[in-house]
Amino acid sequence: MRIFLQFFNSVKLAIVLLIIITLASIIGTLIPQDRTMQEYVFHYGKLAKVLTSLEFTKIYNSFWYVGLLFLFSINILVCTLTRLSPKWKRAFNPKMEKEVKNLIVLKTQEKFSKNWDITKTKDKIQKALKGRRYRIREESEGGKAFLLARKKTSGLFGADIVHLGLLVIIAGGMISGAMSTSNYMDFYEGQTLSVVNADFQLRMDDFETEYNENGSVKDWKSTMTVIENNQDILSKIIEVNHPLSYKGYMFYQSAVDFDWQNPTVEIWAKKKDTPDYTEKIRLRLGDKVELKGENLQITALQFVPDFIIGENGEVATRSQQPNNPAVYIEGWQEETQVFTGWIFAQFPDFSRIHAESEEETNLTFELQGYQGGEISILNAAKDPGANIIWLGCAFLMAGLGLAFYWPPREIKIILETIQSKTEITAGGIASKNKAAFRTEFENIMTTLRRQK
Amino acid sequence: MNEATLFTGTFAIYIIATFFYFSFLFSKKESMAKLGYTFALLGLTTHTGALAWRLFVSGHAPFTNMYESLSFLAWASILAYVIIEGKFKIKKAGPYFMLIVLGLMALASSPLMPKDYAPLMPALQSYWLWLHVSVTMIGESFFAIAFVTSIMYLVADSKQKRGVKTGLSAEKLDEVSYKCIAIGFPLFTLGGMVFGMVWAYKAWGSYWSWDPKEVWSLITWFVFALYLHTRLVMDWKGRRSAFIAILGFLAALFTYFGVNYLLSGLHSYG
Repeated sequence: MRIFLQFFNSVKLAIVLLIIITLASIIGTLIPQDRTMQEYVFHYGKLAKVLTSLEFTKIYNSFWYVGLLFLFSINILVCTLTRLSPKWKRAFNPKMEKEVKNLIVLKTQEKFSKNWDITKTKDKIQKALKGRRYRIREESEGGKAFLLARKKTSGLFGADIVHLGLLVIIAGGMISGAMSTSNYMDFYEGQTLSVVNADFQLRMDDFETEYNENGSVKDWKSTMTVIENNQDILSKIIEVNHPLSYKGYMFYQSAVDFDWQNPTVEIWAKKKDTPDYTEKIRLRLGDKVELKGENLQITALQFVPDFIIGENGEVATRSQQPNNPAVYIEGWQEETQVFTGWIFAQFPDFSRIHAESEEETNLTFELQGYQGGEISILNAAKDPGANIIWLGCAFLMAGLGLAFYWPPREIKIILETIQSKTEITAGGIASKNKAAFRTEFENIMTTLRRQK
Repeated sequence: MNEATLFTGTFAIYIIATFFYFSFLFSKKESMAKLGYTFALLGLTTHTGALAWRLFVSGHAPFTNMYESLSFLAWASILAYVIIEGKFKIKKAGPYFMLIVLGLMALASSPLMPKDYAPLMPALQSYWLWLHVSVTMIGESFFAIAFVTSIMYLVADSKQKRGVKTGLSAEKLDEVSYKCIAIGFPLFTLGGMVFGMVWAYKAWGSYWSWDPKEVWSLITWFVFALYLHTRLVMDWKGRRSAFIAILGFLAALFTYFGVNYLLSGLHSYG
């Protein structure tokens, strides 16, 4: 146990660990993390196997990185605790300085006499010190009086509170790593989905994409309702940066996708010999719609948002974005199929209608509109570590504030009656901002010297 | 007049300030340093005007693309510098620090940086953008001053060892470097780490994603933590401290530039 403590009670160890963790973190940003083995083989060749087996390809979750963080935490904990006890004593059970010789060796010190008795001197000094927000302890013994004036004593613990904050943050991180969950939920308008592992459901009442004037996305808004025991509990519009929080779950607007399985298309039928003839029809996939004035029914059977001919000649889509939308239509006269073909929104001239009979080639078709359903993808996240992290951050910042901007100051004073005069010996200690402290100390002493 | 004129005017004023600071360096005339400081203050004023202009026209924080961000960083650097020079009387650092500011302004002026007003993408529409970016950059500006004073320390130290007198003593430069880091470190922790985590949690659902920019901020934070511990606990001073401070600023610089251009990740907003 003693060896254990000795090993971890070392600032040098902390510095070595800090350097190793820093180097490991750098490696993690140079090697792309969490990719496929093929990618690593492509980039690093034979090295790939070494890198993956050393977990350099998932460093931040690797056994040794987490192990280093763990060692570092123990290091911080031991260093902080062993240094805490003398500080604690100094703060809450301070030793009263009773030897004049210990005060006059201090860098900040003064010695002078006043024509007052010891009680009056003490009162005057206390008044001067209290005016500068010092808190004072006093003792007297054998005709002497001892004063200990201190302020900003809590600044002593600044670094310890920073370390506490870091430990809390690391603990929060471990809890998040072990327990946080994240599930993506795809919502259509009107759809209700159960939240994984929770006893409530979510329904998307409305989804809206707002656009800027230049066509870029301004905002996505999903109006969500929480349903519990078949009752609507609450409704909230979720936007990026405005998640919904319910029962420890957070629901984030994560992404938007299009549903091209069941779009509505608008097709314009035109006649080659009658330029002012245009007949517009709207239909969903699978619907059969009569073309007005003609003995003809149109049906749409397949839609792709980004038309491409695959390797084997089959129709496929390159992406889910409507870059090259195309629809496959058929024309029927009662039970007879009269034409089939793909028509393209971007390239109306490419439309290929294969007519079964001569007369119908007079008609042309254009894909003028298409509307896929929008899917709103929400991230349902639960992270029990998050609140611990915020607590740790609060400690961290409070500690940094104390450590840098709340420097403790101490003034020790010994009063002694010598030949009906009172001799004052004062010494001051400040660990930071010494110049400012010396000025304050000298001001207090000068005021006392001048007082009648 | 418009924002571009104000920005160009500010650039010109900074060039004049740099000129005066260098005149001070060579002529040793106090009045030149004073003029340099005055022009730096004047530039800060017009620069504030340029940023405010942009804010009012665009309706969002003036640091959402590389041009705005560089301009804001230059602004924060000048702000930090006039505070530090006013407090610690380090006017000899003026000419060198102004070179960094001019570098930032020149990069911002480059035609490669689009200057048009673009609407904010959904992820950036948050008041955390203000808190996260501005506090981080102001913190980094103090690191930049520590970088300059640390290099000056190394030069002054080697001069003093050869018995050559220097205008600013090495001890003073060492002290000012520490003071700048003592201001910059809490700000960087608050803006870069804490506010960053809070915002990431609100926007992405995870306060930490090991994204390269996040990791590099952490690395920067580690380097300055190293600086503070070696100094405050192990009483390192002088050369070794100066080297760590320089390294820390380079890490901050890489977090700011390098990650955007060399590594890809969540923070790739351009």
